[in-house]
Parts: sequence; C-alpha cells; structure tokens
Amino acid sequence: MKQVCDVVIIGAGHNGLTLGAYLARSGLDVVVLERRHEEGGGLCTEELTRPGFLHNVHANYHTFVDMAPAITDLEVRENGVEYVRPEVQMASIFDDGTALTIHTDLDKTCESMARFSETDAETFRRLHTEAHGFVDLLLGTLMYQPPMSVKELTRALAAFGVEERTEFLSVRLRRETINQFLDQHFTNDRIKAHLAFHGAVCGYTNDVAGLAIGFPLLIGKIDNWHLCLGGSHRLAHALWRDLAHHGGTLISDAEVASIQVEDGRAVGVRLTTGEEISARRAVASTVDVEQTLLEFVDPTDLSPELRTRVANDVVHKDWSLFSVHAAMSELPEYTAAEFDPDVNRAWVVNLGYASTDDLDDDWRLIRKGGLPDPRPNAAVNSLYDPTDAPDGCYTGLLRQFAPYDLHGGGAGQWEGMGRWYAQRCLDVWRRHAPNLEANTFIDWAPFTPLDISRKLVNMVRGDWMMGEISLDNLLDQRPLPELGEYRTPIDRLYLAGSTQHPHGFITFGPGYNALQIMADDLDIDPWWRVI
Amino acid sequence: MEFFDIMPMIRDFGLEALGLRTVMPEAQAAITFADGRPPVVLHRPDLLDRTHASIARYSGTDADLWVELKKRAIGLQDLLATGLYNLPTEATMADLTALLEGVFGDLGITPDFATKSIKVVIDELFETPELRALLYRATVEWGYPVDQAGSGVAFLTFIMWTLGNWKMVRGGTHALAKTMTQACYREGVDLIENSDVEKVIIKDGRAVGVVTRGREIRAEKCVASNADVRQTLLDLVGEDHLSPLWAKRAHAFRYGPSHVLGTPMFCLHEAPDYKSAKWDPDVNRCFYTMVGFDGPDDTIRYIRDAYSGRIPMPAAGLWVNSLWDRAQAPAGRHTATGWYFLPPASALTGAEWEDVRSTFNERFIDVWHAAAPNMTRDNIIAHRLYTPDQMEHKNRMFEGDFSNGEFAPDQLGTNRPFPEASSYRTEIDGLYFCGPSAFPGGGVHAACGYNAYKAIAEDLGLPSPVVTERGY
Amino acid sequence: MPDIYTSDWYEAVRDSINVKVAEMQGVPEGTWHVAIDIVGDGRSPYVNQGAERNFVVRIEDGRCAWYREVDGADPGVRLDFRFRGPAEEFDRIAAGLLDPIDAALRGTIKARGDMRFLMRQAEHVQVLLEAYTDGVETLWPDGRPPYDGESA
Ligand SMILES: Cc1cc2nc3c(=O)[nH]c(=O)nc-3n(C[C@H](O)[C@H](O)[C@H](O)COP(=O)(O)OP(=O)(O)OC[C@H]3O[C@@H](n4cnc5c(N)ncnc54)[C@H](O)[C@@H]3O)c2cc1C
Repeated sequence: MKQVCDVVIIGAGHNGLTLGAYLARSGLDVVVLERRHEEGGGLCTEELTRPGFLHNVHANYHTFVDMAPAITDLEVRENGVEYVRPEVQMASIFDDGTALTIHTDLDKTCESMARFSETDAETFRRLHTEAHGFVDLLLGTLMYQPPMSVKELTRALAAFGVEERTEFLSVRLRRETINQFLDQHFTNDRIKAHLAFHGAVCGYTNDVAGLAIGFPLLIGKIDNWHLCLGGSHRLAHALWRDLAHHGGTLISDAEVASIQVEDGRAVGVRLTTGEEISARRAVASTVDVEQTLLEFVDPTDLSPELRTRVANDVVHKDWSLFSVHAAMSELPEYTAAEFDPDVNRAWVVNLGYASTDDLDDDWRLIRKGGLPDPRPNAAVNSLYDPTDAPDGCYTGLLRQFAPYDLHGGGAGQWEGMGRWYAQRCLDVWRRHAPNLEANTFIDWAPFTPLDISRKLVNMVRGDWMMGEISLDNLLDQRPLPELGEYRTPIDRLYLAGSTQHPHGFITFGPGYNALQIMADDLDIDPWWRVI
Repeated sequence: MEFFDIMPMIRDFGLEALGLRTVMPEAQAAITFADGRPPVVLHRPDLLDRTHASIARYSGTDADLWVELKKRAIGLQDLLATGLYNLPTEATMADLTALLEGVFGDLGITPDFATKSIKVVIDELFETPELRALLYRATVEWGYPVDQAGSGVAFLTFIMWTLGNWKMVRGGTHALAKTMTQACYREGVDLIENSDVEKVIIKDGRAVGVVTRGREIRAEKCVASNADVRQTLLDLVGEDHLSPLWAKRAHAFRYGPSHVLGTPMFCLHEAPDYKSAKWDPDVNRCFYTMVGFDGPDDTIRYIRDAYSGRIPMPAAGLWVNSLWDRAQAPAGRHTATGWYFLPPASALTGAEWEDVRSTFNERFIDVWHAAAPNMTRDNIIAHRLYTPDQMEHKNRMFEGDFSNGEFAPDQLGTNRPFPEASSYRTEIDGLYFCGPSAFPGGGVHAACGYNAYKAIAEDLGLPSPVVTERGY
Repeated sequence: MPDIYTSDWYEAVRDSINVKVAEMQGVPEGTWHVAIDIVGDGRSPYVNQGAERNFVVRIEDGRCAWYREVDGADPGVRLDFRFRGPAEEFDRIAAGLLDPIDAALRGTIKARGDMRFLMRQAEHVQVLLEAYTDGVETLWPDGRPPYDGESA
C-alpha cells in the first residue's frame, strides 16, 4: 500500500470522492481511505434480496443533478453515470382513493393540485416559478460556498431589498416552521401534507422552527429528482473513476484509527491494522465529528473544552429511516389510479400522510422512541430503470420515518423487529395496491435504522444527514460554531463530510466547499472557479 | 488464491500500491471428522515440517512422500507459470513421460502415471484414507474430475503445487477486483456496468463494435469477449456469421459438471471449534477446512453423485476469513463461506433449486454441528445458499460452471475451447476470446486475459507484455 | 449624453460609480474582474440576434478602473464574476425600467462567481448597480426600451 501522499482523505462517500477527485485533478497525490469494502458510503447498491435485483440501500433520490458544480467539473456523465428524471416525480395517495401527483411538467402538477384547490394550484405555480428563478442564486449562495452566518444573510437580503420583491424570501422565515410557511400560503390540507412530506424526505422536518428559510429552495427543485440508472452506486464508481484516472488512489477496507499530529499539524493517519500513511500537505476527514476529533485525534492534541463540546453538543437527527427492499414480480396498481392514472407511474409515492398534523403526530411519537403505524413511501425504480431487475421483475423500496432508539430498550430492539415491522409496511402498500398479493413479493429484506449505523458507522444513531437539520445546526453553526468553516484547531486537518455545511444528502456540497477552503490554505490553483 | 506470486497484472500495474493486501494463513487445508479422529492439516510451503507431522499421525510413509512430492511441485512453479501465461502448446506423451521421469522418477513414479486417473494416482501413492478423502475433494475443486483417465500428471504437478499455496485477499476477494478496476481507471479504461451486450457488430467479416442496451459502441481495433464461447459465438455474433465448422464447434461446447459449486454463507458468533482440534488445534485456524466427509468412499460417492445430477450428501469445504481479517465481519463475529460440490444448474428445476436453497444449509448445519459442537443454531446468526442456477443467472457462468466450459481432455489445453480457437483468436477478424472458456480455464489467475492480450498485441502491433526474466 | 454601450457611455458609468464609491466607507480592497455578457435576443436593436457583446469591468479597491469590450471567448484576464442575460433585460436595466436584483431573482440574468462575497458586500454592490441604472443620462439612437413586443 502507498505510504506517502499529499492529501489523505478519510471516508470514500460522495464527499470524500468529490474532494479527492478535485484535488487529484489539481495535480495532488491523493489517497482516499474507506473502511468498507466498497466506496460510495450512502451511494450503495446491493443485491440484498436476490441476484439481479439492485437495491439502493441508502440514497435513492439524486436531487442536485445539474445543480452541483461537481457534476460537470468532474464529468460525472462522461465517467459513466446516466440519470433519468421520471416524468411523474411523486404522488400522495389518500385513504379515500384520491391522489396528488407532481410532474416534471408544471402544468400537469398544477392541474393535479387544482383538483384539490384551485387557489393553491395558482400559489404553487407562483411559488415554483419564482423559486425556479432564484434557485441558481440560492444554490450559489447557500449550497456551493462556504457558509455565511444567518446574520450576514439577513443583512444582505435587507440591503438588496429582497423582502419587498418576493414574499417567499422573507427574512422572517428564519423563525418559522415549514408548517407555518404552508399555512400562510396554502389552504388545502393534502397539498400542504404533500409539500411537507416532500420536505421531510429531504431531511427538513416540517415542525422545526427556522427551516422555512430553506423551503423555497426545496420547492425550486421539487421536480428535479433523478434516478441513477443501474443503482446509485454507479455515481460512486464514476467519482472513483475520475479520482483514479487523475492519479488518485482509493483504498478500501482501510479503517482509520488515528490521525497523526506533529507540532499541532496533521501529518498522516494510522489504520486499525497498524498501517500508516503520511500526508505531506493535509488530512481531510469526511466522517462524523465524534470519530474525527474524539477517536482519531489524541486527547493531548485538542483542548479539553472542544472535546467536551463535541461529546455533548453535536446534535444528531431525531428520526431515522426504516426501509423494506423488495424483489417483485408485478408493478403496483393503485386503487387511486381510478382517480389519477398517473399514480401508477409515479416514482415516489406517499402512502398515507394526508395532513401536516399526521406528520407532526408521527414526529412526536418518534421523538419519544415510539414506532408509528406505518405510512411508508414507496418507490419502484424499475418503472424508469429496466436494468435494475431481471426481465419481467421489479425492484421496490418502502421507506418509513422511524426512531433510532426504540422506547424501552434502545436501538438494539430493532434486531428482532425488522421483519415484523417490514411486514406491516408491506401490508399498507398492499392495501393501496391490491394487486400486490403476497406471492408478488419474490423476496424482501428489512433495513433498520440500526443497520444504517452498522453499515456506515459515521451515521451515528442512524443519522443519515450526519447532523440535525435545524437553523442552529446549519450554515456556519454546523456542526459547532467553532468548526463551521471546515477547519479544525489542528493545522491542516479539515472536516469535509456531511457534518459540515450544507448537510447530508447527495449534494456534493461539503466536499466542494471544503475544497474552497483547502485551496486557499494550500495554495491550490482553483481551476474549477473559471467562469 | 494460489496464483498471486505469478500473476503478471499484480506487478505490471502495481496493484499492491493500489491497495491489494494479502494474508497467507499458516494452516492451509484440512479435513476434520465428526468422530473426533485427528485431522489432516496441510500447511504453507514454508512449513512443510508441520504438514509432515500432521500426516505422520496416520502414516510416516505418506508424510515422507507428501513432503517430497510437494518440494518437487514447488520447484515446478516457473514451468507452470510459463505454461499458464503463454498460448497453449501441445504436450506430447513423450513430454509428459520425460517430465514424470525427470522430476519424480526417483520416487517410484513411472511413466504410466500419465495415463491414469487422479483417483488411481492418489490411491496408489497414499495409504491413509483420511488424506485420500482430502485430496479427492481438493482435486475436484481446484482442478480436474478425479475419475478422468490421463489426468494423473495434472495431479502431480498442478494440484500438488496448488495445495496449500493459497493467499487470502484482505477485505474479501472483491478487493482484488477493485484494485484491478482502479488500474483500469488509471489507464483510462471505461467500465460500463449494467450493460448486457446484445450483439457483436460484424461488418465485412470483421468485428467492429457491440450493441449494448440498444446502443452501439464502435471499436476501431478489436472486440474481446470475456463471455463464454457459446454466448459469444451463437448469441452475440450469430450463426449467420459463422462457418459451419465453427457453428458446430460452438454447439458442441459443454459446460459442467466439473466446476459446479454452491456457495453457502454463514454469519457466526463464534468460529467453529472442531472435535478434531483436540489432536491438532491448527484445524481451528485453518484457511480451508473440509467438513462432513468420513473417508474416501463417501467422498467419491459425493463427487459422483454431483457429476450425475444428484444432490450429494451435505458436506463442504469452508473458510472463516474473519479469523485473519477483521474487516470481514463485525467486531466479535465471524463470517464463514464455503463450497458444496453440486450438480449443474440444468439438472434440477427452478423449484427444486429453491428447495435446495431453503433446506440444504439446514442439513449441513447438522453435519457441521456433529464435527464442531459449538456450531449450534444459536451460534449461526444468519445464512444463505447461493446455487449454480443463480450463478448462471448472475455471472453467466453456464450451468454454474466457474470455468464456463467442462474440464475434459477434448476441451483442455490446445483443445480449449476447441482446436481451431485455441489462440484466443476467432474466425471473425478482430474478435478475440479472453474468458475462462479459453485456455487455461477458470480460476483467478487472469491468464486468459493476459494471453488474449498477447495475441491481440501481436496482431495489432502493440507492445509485448513479456518480462524476459520471468519468462512470460 | 452618450449613446448606450459606447465607450463614452461606459466611461460615464464608471465616473458615476467612482463618485459614489468615493463617499463610501469600508469598500472591499482588492481587484476583481467582472464579465457582462449581453446576448442578442432579437428584441434589442443594440445586439444582433444570436450575437453577443462581451464587456469586462475591472474593479480596484471598490472603484471601477476600466471596462473593455472583449472578443467573446478570451477575456484576457481571470474572471471573478459573470453576469449574463438577454440584451433587452440589460437595456431595460440601463433605462431604469428593470431592477437588476429582480432580474437576478427571476433568473433572467444569471450571476456566477463567489455569491458569498457579493452578499457580504451587498451595500457596495448596490452602489454599483445604482450607478449602472440611473447614474448616467443615456441616449438610445435606435430606440429605447420597452420594445413593446416588436421585433428589432
Ligand atoms: C436509508 C437512507 C436513505 C437515504 N436516502 C437518500 C436519498 O434518497 N437521497 C439523498 O440525497 N440522500 C439520501 N440519504 C443520505 C445520504 O446517503 C447521505 O447524506 C450521504 O451519503 C452523505 O455523504 P458523505 O459522503 O458525507 O458520507 P457517507 O456517504 O456516509 O460516506 C462516508 C464514508 O466514510 C466511511 N468511514 C466511516 N468511518 C471511517 C473510518 N474510520 N475510516 C475510513 N472510512 C470511514 C464510511 O464507510 C463511508 O463510506 C439517505 C441515507 C440513508 C441512510
């Protein structure tokens, strides 16, 4: 194994690979170390049920396609990724057999909404059109730049007089919940439920104060959900290919145990196997802050105050995801297709949340460790990806919001409950799509919040966003104000994973933004900024 | 993985710097018994005295002979490597006789060994039933059908060299594929997954590209197929582009039963602790351990059952890689994988395979428990069996045959896949074979790809990969 | 009174900027190059349809040092920002009919570059924009916006 390089990157999730590929393209000798046998982290596709059924174990929806600079800078498509943007992006199916559909075609979305409320459909059109207009600006300002403080943002928005120009970018949103935003602008419960559900799937819980500020951005890309043909892991391969093609090296099965620090400066890492790799220029960690600063760094190299802060004050998401992966012999045919035939072609289907109260009730329960009556969302990628299942078969996915720690016995209780809860989720699906008889499921496999943390140890407590999404844990406050700029108190040790601004999800943001800081510190010519 | 020290790609592309790391366990192959008899444990080539001690528990003569044979076989490494990493050449009976006499003559091995089957060779050489059982089983997995006449030389050379020469890839076998992929990426190779090739495009008798998922990819220089012979010629090229002789040869090409395996996988709390370990604790830390065989008779019956399309008794060769590599199981747990020797995919119906998948591991667990009392159902967290029909499906290893072509004299050496095609070239200009249907067959040695490159390099005037000192 | 997009016009804009900046406190120090791509849209008579006029402005310590009309692809300097949009939008901004922030929010004029910097320098950016929109009396020899739906 290589023993010396310029930059060591810990973790080969999409952020580690992105940062690595940019640095390799900048001529640096980069080594990316990955604990698992496969790179990609959340970009994980496995044959969990039967051969030929490709299940996206974690990330399924790629919502920043053609928005993240990395997609073009790193030639993701030339490196083999093919994206499909399903025409019918999403649906909500309600118990009375009605349904709402979100399309790539705005007119169709508005038509579907108008069946519930014409004024809401008009409001949505206005909001969506405005959000589409400023989405680029928001991305450039809020996603693909090192973070600003809320104070700075507020000041700038006031200086530009943005508030008078669009009701959707008001500075007061920074105190409001998505629920409040919805109540101010929409009337129909189901439309509100769908929009709130959509936010939740993106990690933005609708009852958390301050998140209304991010809502216009979410709406601006509500119809930008892409499917990665052949499984999300294909993106990991493409990023890896770019890294390797530019001379970088990915080493799998390489679990970092410690970061070596000399005279206050990070100079390399040691693996759990005792192997060492030194880094001439820098070390960047894309894993959780707890591992990086409490486990990798020797206590003598960090102030006790910061150690205590990391141990006590880093906040994780207060809900996680339970999944059921299914190998199927039929596509779901929903009863609600009588009302809106497009639901049968919808990629992501909300089965049951009919009001924001429904969601709020579940959040309350989940935060206490309770297991909600399943209201899963269903996605059958094979509708749009014929390569993800054997001929005549389909790969299905159910996701359910769920707690990590279960009331009474903690996360360990998931051990015996996965199959039972999965069965309940499947029952809900079958109730809405009666053609899914038991024998249409060739096989299925549960994947619990506990499994998430076991597979990706950096997703502490099932935290798939690697840090709570709330205003006091976003922007420069994430993961702690003193660590909000990708730098650490140790010289040349950077944080470049989803613990940092903007947050988790397949955004490419943390890796890209850490790159900006590292470029400044390490004097790297920022070729990617050529505009 | 026995070929690491000779595999050209590892050195030529610096796979070690790209992350390839290996472990070579000291105890390499063992057979263990339900009645607690002593095991037979074969160790690494540098620990032959330990192997000697193990065999000597049963027979001093066998132990002496084993060590002598093994030393000779180790000495043949260069010859074997040169044989593997070159285009096949015809070995005449005179060559074989000379080899046997020259290398093994002083050990009482006579030229007629060349005409014998492996079973007969093993039986004539060794008196210990336990050792024979081990060798039968190892032979079918790593090489040749034991009953085939004329394969005796292969046992003395290739199988003897292979046995106990195994390295394990840290992080699992796939880690080797990853480093190879990384080398490809570095060199600018595109790897396009999920892309079933539907057709090889033939223009004016030349292969000029492929169609995959309805899209054409044009190849200016050549097309090489890692797929098996029948698929390549009959499905991808199509009979209308083939001469009657080539079409006939392709149709006549056979798959299995020689290299058909089922793969059971177990998640364990504890690693197995065998009864036989009371004689020799090495059996508990052995790379490859045979479980469920009592002696040569049931082992031979087991092999013959599978060859004739019957599900044999539940017995396996097993490895617990997590004993050496913590990356292969969660902390404090173990991963065991194994091979059952099974009939070819088409011998059973889909429903019958489904039944094998849901019952066979259970039957094996009883057998395992008999040999290793801690292998209780409580100790087994989960398990799964991967069957030949699934391998056919997943990897297009037809019949589940990992060599994608039966190991029989008329399909080996210069006859592989058939005499007219043994140079990796085909009758279609610009179309080459680079998979295990070609010489030398299945196994992780990358010789098919390496040799195919040689043929292509010669035809296209590309640089030769041969390194003079290594001779290939 | 200079004609739109002539050197005289730009010089007038520059002077107007510099007068305003001279009165400001805390303008950012350093040098920036800003590209302005005015894309012919078949409506503005000042840029042919399908053609583009590309300008580069150099800002030094908050003041406008120079501007140049450049030949498309190679501006000859490393750019920090780029503003790009249809000619009619730029015309309307220069005529004081369209607020540039509105244009950016609607996405008709695309901004690229370090947005964080622009946000942090909001007051200063506002001054530059004001100079552009109403700092200069502009002549419109081929007609002035709005173009009332007629094609130019
Ligand atoms: C069930 C589930 C569903 C999701 N659905 C979506 C979705 O649809 N769309 C979406 O955009 N996002 C989704 N996400 C979120 C997304 O997967 C993550 O936010 C994203 O993967 C974070 O990327 P990352 O590169 O920062 O970290 P990761 O992808 O987690 O990568 C970090 C890597 O570091 C490795 N690592 C950890 N510790 C060490 C160590 N000590 N040494 C070396 N390596 C180490 C890990 O093994 C991992 O590979 C989902 C997540 C989950 C769990």
